[in-house]
Formats: sequence, C-alpha cells, structure tokens
Amino acid sequence: MSPLLQFIEDKVQIAALFFMVAVYTIRIFWLFKFRAVRERSLPEGKARAGVAYSLSNVVLPWAMESTRKNPWFYIQFVVFHLGVTAAISATFIIPYAPHWLASSDIVAAFQAVMGAALAVGIWRFIRRLHSPALRAISTPDDFAAILLMIAYFALGILAVPNRAERGEGPMIAFFILTAFFLIYVPFSKISHYLYYPFGRVFLGRTLGRRGVFPVRKSASGRRAEGDQGR
Amino acid sequence: MKNMSPRKRNPVECLPLATGSQEKARGDDLASVYDRRLKTYDPAGDNVRKFLDLLAVRINRSLAVSLVACVHCGMCVDSCHYALTHPGDSTMTPVYKADQIRRIFKRRLDWTGRIVPWWVHAATPASDEDLNRLKNIVFGTCSACRRCTLNCPMGVDTASLVRFTRGLLTELGIVPEGVFNVSRDEWETGNQMAVTPLDYLGTLQWMRDDLRTDPKLSGLEIPVVRPDCDFMYTINPREIKFDPRSIAQAAKIFHLAGERWTLPSAGWDQTNFGMYSGDDRLGGYIARNLYEAAVRLRAGRIVISECGHGFRSTRWEGYTWAEYDQNIPSESVVRTLKRYLKEQRIRVDKSKNALPVTFHDSCNIARSGGMTEEPRWVLNEVCSNFQEMHPNRTENYCCTGGGGLLSMAEYRPLRLESAAVKARQLEATGAKLVCTMCHNCVDGLNDVVKHYKLDMKIVQVLELVENALVY
Ligand code: SF4
Ligand code: SF4
Repeated sequence: MSPLLQFIEDKVQIAALFFMVAVYTIRIFWLFKFRAVRERSLPEGKARAGVAYSLSNVVLPWAMESTRKNPWFYIQFVVFHLGVTAAISATFIIPYAPHWLASSDIVAAFQAVMGAALAVGIWRFIRRLHSPALRAISTPDDFAAILLMIAYFALGILAVPNRAERGEGPMIAFFILTAFFLIYVPFSKISHYLYYPFGRVFLGRTLGRRGVFPVRKSASGRRAEGDQGR
Repeated sequence: MKNMSPRKRNPVECLPLATGSQEKARGDDLASVYDRRLKTYDPAGDNVRKFLDLLAVRINRSLAVSLVACVHCGMCVDSCHYALTHPGDSTMTPVYKADQIRRIFKRRLDWTGRIVPWWVHAATPASDEDLNRLKNIVFGTCSACRRCTLNCPMGVDTASLVRFTRGLLTELGIVPEGVFNVSRDEWETGNQMAVTPLDYLGTLQWMRDDLRTDPKLSGLEIPVVRPDCDFMYTINPREIKFDPRSIAQAAKIFHLAGERWTLPSAGWDQTNFGMYSGDDRLGGYIARNLYEAAVRLRAGRIVISECGHGFRSTRWEGYTWAEYDQNIPSESVVRTLKRYLKEQRIRVDKSKNALPVTFHDSCNIARSGGMTEEPRWVLNEVCSNFQEMHPNRTENYCCTGGGGLLSMAEYRPLRLESAAVKARQLEATGAKLVCTMCHNCVDGLNDVVKHYKLDMKIVQVLELVENALVY
C-alpha cells in the first residue's frame, strides 16, 4: 500500500471525522439555542411511551399510512440505508480491520448491499427529476446529495475488495469522497440523521402526553383493547 | 421572493389582500386596534423586515427542528386532501407549503442558506406582495389538519409550521378578511361571534323554558355562575347564535343524570380563533378567561361541548398560550356522556337511532387531542346501526372546513374541490347520518354534503344520545 493511500485512509479520515463531530456539536448547540416550549396542561397519556412509539416508527412500516401504502418506498428506504451503513463500515474496516474482508463471500455481501443501494439511488434520482411534486421542491443540495451517494456506492463497490496491489485508484477516490462527505455533510441535507431523533422525540413527546401516540387503534376500526372506558 | 424559480402560480396564491374590515376597525377606533392587540396592515410599515425579525424572535426549538429536518422525500404528499385532489399541482403538497417558510428561515437563520442561498433555495420575501402570497398559501391551501405530520417519517410538523407562519402574518395584519373579523370579535367581546351577554343569557333562558314544557323536566335548570359545581360547562358561540338545540340537549342529559353543573357568565367560549390565526396572545387571552372563570366558580372540572378546535385549544394548547399551569381537570362532554352511560345515570334505547350512522373524527380531537374511542363507545351504546368510516381515527380526512377556513370565503372554491376526498369517503359508508363531535365539522361536512349532493344528514353525539334517552 502506498504512503498516499495510507495517509488518506487514516490521517485524513480522522481529521475529517473530528471536523464533522465539531460542527455537529456546534449545530446541536445552535438548535438548543431556540427556546423550548413548556407544556402546562395535565397529561392524558405518557410522554415516554409517545417518544418510544415515535422513534420506533422507522421499523414499523405499517404504523404510518405513507409507508403502509408504499411498501416499495419503504423497501427502498431500508436498502438505501443498509447501503449507507455498509459503505460507512467499509471506511473503518478497510484501514483498521482489513482481515474482516479476507473472505470473498463477505466482500461479495458488501458489494451486493451497496449495489442494491446504488440501484435505489439511481431510481430516486430519476424519481426526483421525473415527479413534478418533487421537482418543485428539489434544491441543488437535494440533487447533489443523491448524486454523491450514487458515486459513493459505486466507489465503495470497487474499494471493498481492498486489493491495493491491483490498483489504488478506486480506493483513493473512495476515501477522498469519504473525507469530503465528513466535511460537507453537516452543511447539507444528508445530515438529516442528526435531526431525526429530535424531530421524532419532540413530536412523540407532544402527542404522547395527549394520548395520540402510541396510536392505540388500527385504522381498520377494531375496538381498542386498552380502552377501559375512561 | 428573491431566488425563486419562475413557475406557474396557483390562482389562489395571487388573491389580493382585502383590508376593508381593517380600515373600518381603525375608523371605529376599536379598543383592540387602539391598544394594538389587534394588528392592522400598514403598507408603509417595513413589513418584510418586521416579518423577518418576528421569525427570529418567535421560532422555538421544535419548529426549528421541523424546519431543518425535512429531506424533501415527498412521503407526505399523498396524505393531504389538497394534493390528492390536485395531482397536477405541485403547490398543493404539504412540503411545498412548508417550504415557503422553510426557505425564509434558511435565508435568515440557517448556515448554508445564509452563505449559499441558491444551493438550498433559501430566499427572503422581496415585498409585501410576497407576504400576501405567503398568506394565501398558509391560510388558503391548508386546513392545518396535521395528517401530513403523522405521515412524515422525519416527524416534521408541517401543520405547526403553517400555524406559526399564520401567526407572523397576523402580527402584520396580512390576513384574510374573515380571520381579521373573527379575531376582532374575540378581542372586543371575548367570544368569536360577538354574542352579547343579553343574547347569551336570553338564549339559555329560552332553552330552559322550552325544555320545561315537557312535564318530566319541569324542575330543569340551566344554571349560570353557580359555584362549587361538579363541572363548569363551556360552549361554542355557534350554539348560542345558530343552533341552541345542543345546549338544550346537554342540559336535558345533565338534568336526567342528576348532575351539578353550571355555565359561567364570562369565559364560556371554549373556541379560540388564536388557534387558527396563529396568534398566541389572542389564544392565551381567550383560554385564560375560561380557566379563570372555572377557578372563580370553584368548579370540579371543565367540560367542553362538542367542538374540535375548542377541545384542542381548551384542553391542550390554551395552557401554553396563556402560560397557565393547569389546575382543574378538563374533558370533552363526550367523555362525560360515556361516564353517565357506564354508571347508568341515564338510560337509553338504541333502537331509537335506527338509521345507519357513521362517525367523522375531527382532526383536532383525533390527531391533536388523543380522543378517538369515547365517541365510538357512546355511539355503539345509543345507535343500533353504527358503521365505521375508512380511514378513521388518526387517519381520517379533514372535513375540509378546519383551520378556520369556514371564515375565509375567498378560499371556498378550492376548499370544496379538495373536499372530493371527503365526499368519496362519506359516500362509501352508505350511512344516512354522519355524526361528528365538532360544530366546525358540522358546517364543513354540510358544505361537502350539499356540494357533492350526498343523501346524508350531519348530526352530533349529544343529539343522538338525547334522541335515545328513556326517561
Ligand atoms: S415533510 Fe416529511 S414527508 Fe414531507 S417531504 Fe419533508 S421529510 Fe418528507
Ligand atoms: S396539515 Fe392537512 S391540509 Fe395542511 S398540508 Fe398537511 S395534510 Fe394538507
């Protein structure tokens, strides 16, 4: 492995990671500078149960009509984010635990997941271009995010075999893109994962206190089992 | 707005700002205008700057998260009755509506939007015309039903963003005329239909006398300012002004249940236009009137008559707006009815309500109030043929009259177009009666039924319980 690749795999990544953590820390402080609203009504339900329900909706596709009626979209979401997880894992495994990628089956599994995510990425890009509703709201940041992810998955597929001796180009590109992500992401919509828990917790807390969350009923009309005739 | 991509605008976005009522209010020297509780539009008022300053001051943490968390995934699109009925119009989607305030927030407060606005479509309103366009979007194309909120994977509360934006515009007097008029009445009279004390007491007396013509109800009272009661009953001014039967129905049921109850002389309006206009000060003023009336009367609890936004604002939001820690429990009258039925304090015969009846969940009660089962329980007790509407509960569609839209005549054609979803939903039930526990929904649904020529009658829970009474 060349000193350049070694440097990019290790030092550059660590520096970029520190930058990202620092920016995110500032970002969270920035968010918490906005005043919190204190609820003054007496609760009907449990805020904690509401929060738990709200946070768990990511694994309960039947809980929201939007995912229940669009299973294909939900599957895309899962595949895409598994691809992201695989690509991010690869950035740690390649420099720090390369033996995990010694088996060709594991490499193939990584490539399959990222390949599927890449296909979803292309599909999402086309959808964003094609759907008038999405086009109307899409910003350069939205388009850049999806294009960058597509490129990232493609480079990840080439990099996971971790065979520097066969050519370092794809690996160098993969790690340069990783470092770029770490620096760029806090300023882009890709950092939605940072806000996700806050959004879900705030909504869950409000609706949990009111007894809206957890939704006690299926929308099908069956009587709530927990309804004890308050 | 600066940096906005040119595209075809929805005609609703171009409706002008009507200020006739505002000019009259200024001319009449109304107290609320004079002491600046009620804001009027000043064309020379540097409104864009004021709007931006207000935005920065009023934004709170959960709204800020809703503003930064949207990933433009479009998952909320199919949850909105406006978007569903206007598939070719991208301005009808929840995310488009929320984006109109989001881009201003980004330009003013968010990092990327301040440095490279074009990258995230951040923009500042250029003129009052842009603010007026924003007014038409947040007041005219959204009933604040919160259906999109519950369908957003990120937890983005678009309905709250819409209300927040409405509140900023209300501070500048850039509001639909109907919103100004109702806010004026609330500030001036303490209730949203300008009911006078004479009208109020006269109607209560009339209902009492009417009920007493039934020999079995000869001792019935509709008490006002009776202290130390089990509960203080609060009503919608519409009940006084247009449909006092519901007061009579409630009074009859309370009497037969042997209840000790009272109405206050002031602070009886459980509705709250601050909820619709986004004006927390108005919301707090009306809510505080009511809470303090209950304290003065040493009432055991506050019971809220059938009203969706009244329930939500009195039971939940009003305490926050009024900065008032809840000290007396409160509940919807439907829960009170359920208790009477469970405790057998009233007797009913469900065969008296034999027509097929379905139930429409008010958005404010189901999605923002947490009450979906009690009305169904009661209806199953008092009706012999109850049929569920689909979807229902937290997934029900708005009556399309929510968000104060019934008071905004200029948006009526769009509202009725968007009601096609509701009309289809109602028709599919095959019911003859549509029951709802909201006066606003009664009017909204009546419009839908009339416009789409459905053979249905809109009723409320109290009416069906009263009709089933055996005494
Ligand atoms: S509001 Fe939620 S569902 Fe709608 S586009 Fe934004 S993130 Fe997606
Ligand atoms: S709150 Fe209701 S009406 Fe408004 S955008 Fe969301 S779904 Fe549509």
